[in-house]
Amino acid sequence: MSQKGQIVSGYIAPHPPHLVYGENPPQNIPRSTGGWEVLRWAYDNVREKIKAQKPDVIIVHTPHWMTMVGHHITRVPRLKGLSVDPIFPHLFRYNFDTAIDVDLADAIYDEAIAEGMTAKKMTNPNFRLDYGTIVTSHMLNPDWDIPIISLSANNSPYYFSLNVGIEEMFKLGRATRRAIEKTGRRAVLAASNTLSHYHFDREPDPNLPEDMSKEHVFSHQNYLWDMRVLQLMREGNMDELMKVLPQFIDATSAEVKSGGLFWMLAAMDFPNIPAKVHGYWSVIATGNAVVEWDLTKGANGHQGAYAHA
Amino acid sequence: MPDGQIVKGYIVPGLPHLVLPRDSSSRAELRNACRLAGANARQARPDVLVIFSTQWISVLGHMVQTRPNPKGMHVDENWYALGDLPYDFHTDFDLAKRTIELGVAAGLQIRPVDFEGFPVDTGTLVALDFFNPKNELPVVCIACNIYAGREEELKLGQAVHDAIRALGRRAVVIGSSGLSGHWFTKDIQDSEDRIVGDGDDAENRRMLDLIASGKFTEAMDAMPEYARKTGADMQFKAFFWLIGALGSKNVKAKTLGYGPVWGSGAAVIEFSL
Repeated sequence: MSQKGQIVSGYIAPHPPHLVYGENPPQNIPRSTGGWEVLRWAYDNVREKIKAQKPDVIIVHTPHWMTMVGHHITRVPRLKGLSVDPIFPHLFRYNFDTAIDVDLADAIYDEAIAEGMTAKKMTNPNFRLDYGTIVTSHMLNPDWDIPIISLSANNSPYYFSLNVGIEEMFKLGRATRRAIEKTGRRAVLAASNTLSHYHFDREPDPNLPEDMSKEHVFSHQNYLWDMRVLQLMREGNMDELMKVLPQFIDATSAEVKSGGLFWMLAAMDFPNIPAKVHGYWSVIATGNAVVEWDLTKGANGHQGAYAHA
Repeated sequence: MPDGQIVKGYIVPGLPHLVLPRDSSSRAELRNACRLAGANARQARPDVLVIFSTQWISVLGHMVQTRPNPKGMHVDENWYALGDLPYDFHTDFDLAKRTIELGVAAGLQIRPVDFEGFPVDTGTLVALDFFNPKNELPVVCIACNIYAGREEELKLGQAVHDAIRALGRRAVVIGSSGLSGHWFTKDIQDSEDRIVGDGDDAENRRMLDLIASGKFTEAMDAMPEYARKTGADMQFKAFFWLIGALGSKNVKAKTLGYGPVWGSGAAVIEFSL
């Protein structure tokens, strides 16, 4: 029997395609003169950290694979293809090629079923990964030498209510944690979310999207909200964070609503350790932060209201 | 060059259950209605199809496909287990370009899309399956902006109308859209399918009656309430676009089929001029 697995770290890992575009990796066809460096440098720090932690797998929860019937899990040994962002095709046309940890995918599926959830294994080899999965995976590990799993965002927070969606994410988080433990994996989790999500309704200059003189957060109100939740994360104040997230979502249309952050925090058992904010900036006016919870450093497990949710 | 004209218009459902798996006999009424719509459209001898799909979502204004020959393999992100949707069709570039020009002149934000590998959506491909099975006709594909309302969609439809007239085309215009948008959130057998939302069936039928009786303005006025009650597919804004393209005079509408697809409402509506 394998050694008990563990989640070594969790990240809020936002996925604006602008970040890949600004970096000019060989996999992406469009070329830029840079842009959004503060976020890209934040990811640079994270990449080094992940390499050092030597995880077996990176699990990404993505809002851009929205599913109607249950929670879907990539379950094909390898996925490869060209992913073109339907919203920003001039910025993101990415040739992806990644291994999928199918044994862990099976285990997550089994544990989700055990939670009474509706779950599905995505077994179509022609499936095109969404840009949320790809951008987050690339920014965390551009070498793509660690297998991934992509989890879909079931649309329950939109279809039913935020509370229903959160409950689903708590279950999926628990299921993910148990699957990691049972399969002996060292796992990195990634909640592929922006924070405040109001955005410009047109690009300031479509011919020069990376013109940073035009980039700013949508409103001071949104900025204040982003700072408030980031401060709570930095303080490790999990109870207050969980309390304000619904208000945050309501006030800023935060993409957190799609579930990734709730899933990740539940999987990590709501750690009451200070998170490290590696960087914050806007992308086409949305608020984005790269935030790390390093579970190898301190207490893994929470004693507050959300303990063992 | 003679003025162009729109010879037929349609609302058709865009979920893949109507074409996949190929050997399925489920949802026969809707499938047969889609086949009839495709046959009627071809009988009108169009030289171009214009398709507005609620499953091609745009955020920064509108988008129009301008790639001369989109081809590839589409796998639906929800219904990948039903099968793949390969595609290989041709774009009426001049009509797409003129639509963009006229739409921009009307104050809309519209972008051309000409990228290898750009994902063609399920709704467009389902419509093509019935209306252009041999890919003999060129196509103009138009995205559905999630923020656009009645006025914008009417303007966009008008731009299509004016472009068709200006270039002398005989066109069939198609809105790929469902009706009520509540669905089953658990697995079901095809035989268990029904309109699932409380009151959705009655609301759908009321909307279809308004449309079939030619009360298009009344239908548009009722749309916000209908969309709120039924969670209608993209607020059923495809209808605004279609009326923008067709105009509301001398147009007769007929429902060719109606039924559920995974709990949501779906209808095939034919508009004759």
